Amino acid sequence: MNRRLAPRLQGLASYAFLLVLLLVVVFPFYWMTVTALKSEVQMRSLASMFWPDPVVWDNFRHLLAQTDFVAWFKNSVLVAVSSTLVATAIGTIGAYSLARLRFLGRAFMSSAVLITYLVPPSILFIPLYAQIRNLGLADSLAGLIAAYPSFTVPFVTWLLMGYFESIPEELEEAAMIDGATRFGAFARVVLPLAAPGVLAAGLYAFTQAWNEFLYALVFITDVKLRTLPVGLSSFITGDVYGWGFLMAGAVLTTLPVIAAYIYLQKYMVEGLTAGSVKG
Amino acid sequence: MDQRLRDLTEQLDAGLIARREFLRKAAVITGGTAAGLHVLSKMADAQPKTKLRVWLFKSFVTAGNDTLAKHIEAWAKERKVDVETDWATFGDREQKFVAAIEAGNPPDIAEMNIYGPMRYKAALRDVSKIATDIASAKGGFLPFAERAMKAEGKFLGVPRYSMTTVFFIRKDIMEAKGLKPPKVYDPDVVEFARKTTDPAKDLWGFGQTLNRSDDGDGFMSNILWDYGGGVWDKDGKPALGTAFLKQNTAALQFAVDTIKKYRIQPPGVMGWTDPSNNEAYMAGKLVTTNNGASLYYAMVQKKHELAPKTLLVLTPGGPAGSFVGSSCYNWAIFAKSKQTELCEDLIRWVEDESRFNEYVHASIGQAGPVYRARVDTPYWKSDPNFDAIVQNILRSVNLGYPGPTTPAAAEVQGQKILTDMAGRVVVGGLSPEQALKEAHKRIEEIYKMRRA
Amino acid sequence: MATPAARLPASAALRRAGTRVGLERVLGPDFRLGFLFVAPTVLLVLALVAYPFGYAIYLSLTRKYVGVPPVFVGLDNYVKLTWDGFFQRAVVNSFIFTFGSVSVKLLLGMLMALVLTSKIRFRSFWTGVLLIPWVAPTVVSALNFLWIYDYSLGVLNYLLVRVFGLLPQGVGWLSEPGTAMASVIAVNIWRGFPFFGISLLAGMKAIPAELYEAAAVDGAGPVQRFWRVTLPGVKNILVIVVLLSTIWTFNDFQIVYILTKGGPGGATQVLPVLTYEIAFGAQRLGEAIAVALYMLPPLAVVIIVLARYMRRGQAK
Repeated sequence: MNRRLAPRLQGLASYAFLLVLLLVVVFPFYWMTVTALKSEVQMRSLASMFWPDPVVWDNFRHLLAQTDFVAWFKNSVLVAVSSTLVATAIGTIGAYSLARLRFLGRAFMSSAVLITYLVPPSILFIPLYAQIRNLGLADSLAGLIAAYPSFTVPFVTWLLMGYFESIPEELEEAAMIDGATRFGAFARVVLPLAAPGVLAAGLYAFTQAWNEFLYALVFITDVKLRTLPVGLSSFITGDVYGWGFLMAGAVLTTLPVIAAYIYLQKYMVEGLTAGSVKG
Repeated sequence: MDQRLRDLTEQLDAGLIARREFLRKAAVITGGTAAGLHVLSKMADAQPKTKLRVWLFKSFVTAGNDTLAKHIEAWAKERKVDVETDWATFGDREQKFVAAIEAGNPPDIAEMNIYGPMRYKAALRDVSKIATDIASAKGGFLPFAERAMKAEGKFLGVPRYSMTTVFFIRKDIMEAKGLKPPKVYDPDVVEFARKTTDPAKDLWGFGQTLNRSDDGDGFMSNILWDYGGGVWDKDGKPALGTAFLKQNTAALQFAVDTIKKYRIQPPGVMGWTDPSNNEAYMAGKLVTTNNGASLYYAMVQKKHELAPKTLLVLTPGGPAGSFVGSSCYNWAIFAKSKQTELCEDLIRWVEDESRFNEYVHASIGQAGPVYRARVDTPYWKSDPNFDAIVQNILRSVNLGYPGPTTPAAAEVQGQKILTDMAGRVVVGGLSPEQALKEAHKRIEEIYKMRRA
Repeated sequence: MATPAARLPASAALRRAGTRVGLERVLGPDFRLGFLFVAPTVLLVLALVAYPFGYAIYLSLTRKYVGVPPVFVGLDNYVKLTWDGFFQRAVVNSFIFTFGSVSVKLLLGMLMALVLTSKIRFRSFWTGVLLIPWVAPTVVSALNFLWIYDYSLGVLNYLLVRVFGLLPQGVGWLSEPGTAMASVIAVNIWRGFPFFGISLLAGMKAIPAELYEAAAVDGAGPVQRFWRVTLPGVKNILVIVVLLSTIWTFNDFQIVYILTKGGPGGATQVLPVLTYEIAFGAQRLGEAIAVALYMLPPLAVVIIVLARYMRRGQAK
């Protein structure tokens, strides 16, 4: 009896656990959406707590028509996509050389890349801003595109190092015996095999860039060049929160990323999978 | 592992497709990067060289923000200047200022709060000339505004408007209980609040946080003064845990008692941040609270049902009198700016009486006077609730009172030392005297460092 | 991974091809492509991390007010901090915050991964949805929780008091030291556990099914299979994830800042928030950076040790 019952119980427990987790995960977003669709009066009364009654679209209308939300959205897309491309490109070749090529200082660099993660951003942004300004990139989205790889490249590199190590070296060597150069072997054999890993790393870099707040707040000093997280937080004007309004912006900021993830999550898992095979 | 190897070889066997796919992807990525780089350099180049950079304070009074932005745009058009504006909110302005100053990239001119000139003293230009010019045309400064803008005899900011706190009362509840507006905290506010608190209805007689926040910090400064104490002595030396220890202990004890002993405050009050009391008041959970006019603005502008049921009165006091500190918003010009004249011209433009008047109207009580001639205007008589605002501004004392306004005083405020001190008593288990002595040590340290 | 026998001919061929010794002997056989490929990373790290970081270290040795040139004071800032009660409490709080969140994130993430690798329907759906918290902007999530925790209007108290009747009266979640710390930790867990989940899921998927079959043949039950096969199989990724998450959590600023600003009475004051307060409240940049850097050496040691350990694991 034990043999038959145990798996069923286990299955039941699995679903129960997932359901609880789902509630915990989804409820805050549900709550955010409900808040965005409530009027001020509804929000401050405890009546019809879990469903807006009536549904009010004012917050969304106002957000799209009377603020720079659309411009911020475009800025965020531009910055996140460009910096992701840059970071993924740099990280991919860096990871390949650290994982595969034999040269002086490689071991040191592998650890150094991770140690850069320790540097606390809460304070680094002041000297970094000076540096961005030295490069002539202050007050422009270009500054953010240049700065974001500084915190996404380390992770991309580490993830892909594992990935490249998991690809049998024989495949490359075979290609090289067939007359390919080292670069040719990388470009034509290794890279296509590593595509899921590169995609996962890119997705990670995109998420980090999309959500970044501090650099975007400090480096950008023109209201039209803001990115979404900074734009959103500028709706908190101190003393009274426009909750509905803020939540409407939050919903619109989060939706595209969620959509992308629900569609792309299998690559994320795949990408991380190969990277984890070690030892 | 074998399975994986097989998979990989299979994928490679289909090499042709993978390669083609890869090449296509590579082309897209390369093209994208090239285009991106092109855009990058263009974006960075697109910065014209002569441009006036203006940073404004994004206040909750959005109608006021819009009016000010409109005035600046009109000025830019008239003077044919390219203006780049950026707004900093309560939450993020210090980060922006510090980073910009340290990176050598500050704006030309900025609208600052009362702490701004003291905090950024080293990076600001002496604006005594234009400040006194404007003041003499407008009947002179109100005393607290003059003291707040001056360091070592020089003006570092040109006062624009003042923002004060007043005591908000639910008139309907007060009248239903046959009560009168309280004059002092102890016993008036306590009695008033006890009679109106009803935990069953989640209604609380008094809502005043002692948590780290501007609201908490403002209350703590005021109450120390109300009991005859304060942080600084007449010469601007720390006195919190020394000369004023007795008075301050009584004041702190009272503040803590409102939460711990009298039970007139809502249970969550020690977790409040600046917006919390506004939220609670507008939700009908509070009978009284201290707040800036922003709360009144929010209610009037949105035609909130509690707006007509709200009475604004003078901030209550204590045994030594009733004291309030107010903020003084101002224009500061950065020393690095090469366009001082343009900046001064802009200040004159927006401080022009007809334009400023438009701003005051849009702000519904939030933009109080800093010049004498702006006190007796019809606007401040247009709503009986405004009288408390004007009276509180007129009797405001400066940051650092009874001493002068100093960078050290601004720092004590900025570090929220007074609310930390209260928190140590309410939730940290210290006695008021221990907490005062602990805070005094921190203040002494700040004072010493600032003088070194 | 690859047997020496399989590797030999190819390596020999390579070695024959590259007989130009000299530089290659010193810099390694692949130094040209290696240096070329790693150059962008090195440049980026030097320009955007190392230089500002070096400058930050220098500033931490100075007395530096905003807008005023720094004055060198040696280790004064660090010495002063060591004896400062507020700093000491922030260190303790930081550790509570970090270990509290990382341990629960690990537990939840492990459960999530185990459940998602078992036979369930709609696996992609579950995986996608459970990733949401990690994907949403932190600013947004933190504000949302501020609203949820609100004493009077927050939905948490509403649920506990009115819907489920579990409590007679609402709780001021952010106003008592204990609940405030628990509340900020909860938000950090909520945001961070999916990363553990998905990484461990990936690790588990990579474990060959034969290992489980072999364990089953040996008569191992589910629990033993977990200890004998799953855990060793994900050991490496576990180490990386715990490491990264510890760093991220330790440096997490936004959640605490938005929810409590370190209050009540300093009960949730953690190092990043303290750094912020000293830098922007007090404007003492040197001291602020010293706060931020104080805990760096121990963390760096941990990282180096773990990085070694992982490298050794791979070399096998």
